[in-house]
Amino acid sequence: MNKASLKRTLLGASAALVAGCATAPDEATTRQIAEKMVKESFIASPAHAKRLVQDKSQQICSKIGDAKLTQAEAAEVVNLARASIKYPASGKLVGDWKIGDKLAHDGAGDRIRNGKLEKRKENGGLCQNCHGLAPGEINVGNVGPALTGWGMQRGNSEAIAKYTYEKIYNAWLYFPCSNMPRLGATGHLTPEQITHLVAFLIEPESPINKK
Amino acid sequence: MKVRGGLAAIALLCFVGTAWAQAGGDLSVGRKMLLEDNPGELWIDKGKALFHEKRGPKKASLEQCDFGMGPGKLEGAAAKLPRYFPDVDKVQDLESRLVTCMVQLQGFKRDDVEKKAISPSRSAGSDVEALALYITSRSNGMKVNVTLSHQKEYDVYKAGEYLFYRRAGQTDFACVQCHGEANKRIRLQDLLHMTNKDGAGEVASTWPAYRGAHYVVRTMQWRLYDCFWQMRLPDLDYGSDVSIALTTYLNHSGNGTIIKVPGFKR
Repeated sequence: MNKASLKRTLLGASAALVAGCATAPDEATTRQIAEKMVKESFIASPAHAKRLVQDKSQQICSKIGDAKLTQAEAAEVVNLARASIKYPASGKLVGDWKIGDKLAHDGAGDRIRNGKLEKRKENGGLCQNCHGLAPGEINVGNVGPALTGWGMQRGNSEAIAKYTYEKIYNAWLYFPCSNMPRLGATGHLTPEQITHLVAFLIEPESPINKK
Repeated sequence: MKVRGGLAAIALLCFVGTAWAQAGGDLSVGRKMLLEDNPGELWIDKGKALFHEKRGPKKASLEQCDFGMGPGKLEGAAAKLPRYFPDVDKVQDLESRLVTCMVQLQGFKRDDVEKKAISPSRSAGSDVEALALYITSRSNGMKVNVTLSHQKEYDVYKAGEYLFYRRAGQTDFACVQCHGEANKRIRLQDLLHMTNKDGAGEVASTWPAYRGAHYVVRTMQWRLYDCFWQMRLPDLDYGSDVSIALTTYLNHSGNGTIIKVPGFKR
């Protein structure tokens, strides 16, 4: 074999190596590569960049594919959720259902475009995006279960008000890692806003509980 | 009945015509739009002209741009993207590859190109949008076929999968919260089921697409940017590694789907 053809053979062999032998990187390598990408892929002020950093619960709740939570992980998410919940200063968990109705139908607030924060007095509750609300209401999503008749089915006792409040504040207390955002715990909604949503869900006069 | 139909046609013509006139076009273009199934078709010709025109500080065309099949070879090239490119030692999607060529071959400034890449609604659209559509259209009728033969392709694919499930921000959303199940909607808007082959295939085969609500052609880079915006996360950088990783993951998941662009979105 002359020098040139040897070189060709070697080149061919290394090309085959490059072309045919890619293997799945292990989990730690993938995490490292992907997290580096997250750091480098967004144009953000330091304050906005914080949104990209996962808290402990988000890390646990980012299982890939069909991977399941372990019991210990689920327990940790529940504990973190319990510790996260703050109640309104007034101690009153049931606010004004009319304000709650408006909030439930408001999908705006806190989005960032070209580095600028969406100008809003307060954030919307986002409920309509994912949940059925009043009976016959058509423009509603179905990523979450319909909330139609929530209070009609459960009543409006103190216990139900507390359960409803906590469910909105941090849904992962009851369903660790569910799709539902932890609206109070992440700061998207204030405790007072959540009391209005509680009223919207449980008050008998609320359209959500009408037939 | 005939009259009413005629009036409706005129109304529609005026409507489309006005939108186009605002964008600097003329009525004849508006009339042509009415004849097409998809107004995005118009961007193909625009992209083709841009591809062959000598442009930029170096007064060069894009005919020497290599999308993975060799310089200027566009037939089927988009079907295999994203892929690894040795000259930049990176995995690139169609749009980041295109920007590389516009910078290296034509001498455009990267920042300028990227800043203008996503056009305002109701505008005539950006050069990148038209070029991306034209280049992808040269794979129409072919199957998406993203291979993971280079190690970096495999790494980026796995990173994309990881990112699809990575929850962050005040909504606790990753992609999978909205795109992990069949028959889901945000309000009345249908969501694609992307952990399913058909759903991923629709992603991989229909971008760039004409977006009715915006009156322009939108690209995959735009689609991802807008999702992150809605998730309350910061501005996704144009051509970023996160965008390329997600596109690699989704396109590979959609392998085998037949490409048909421009897609048509609401």
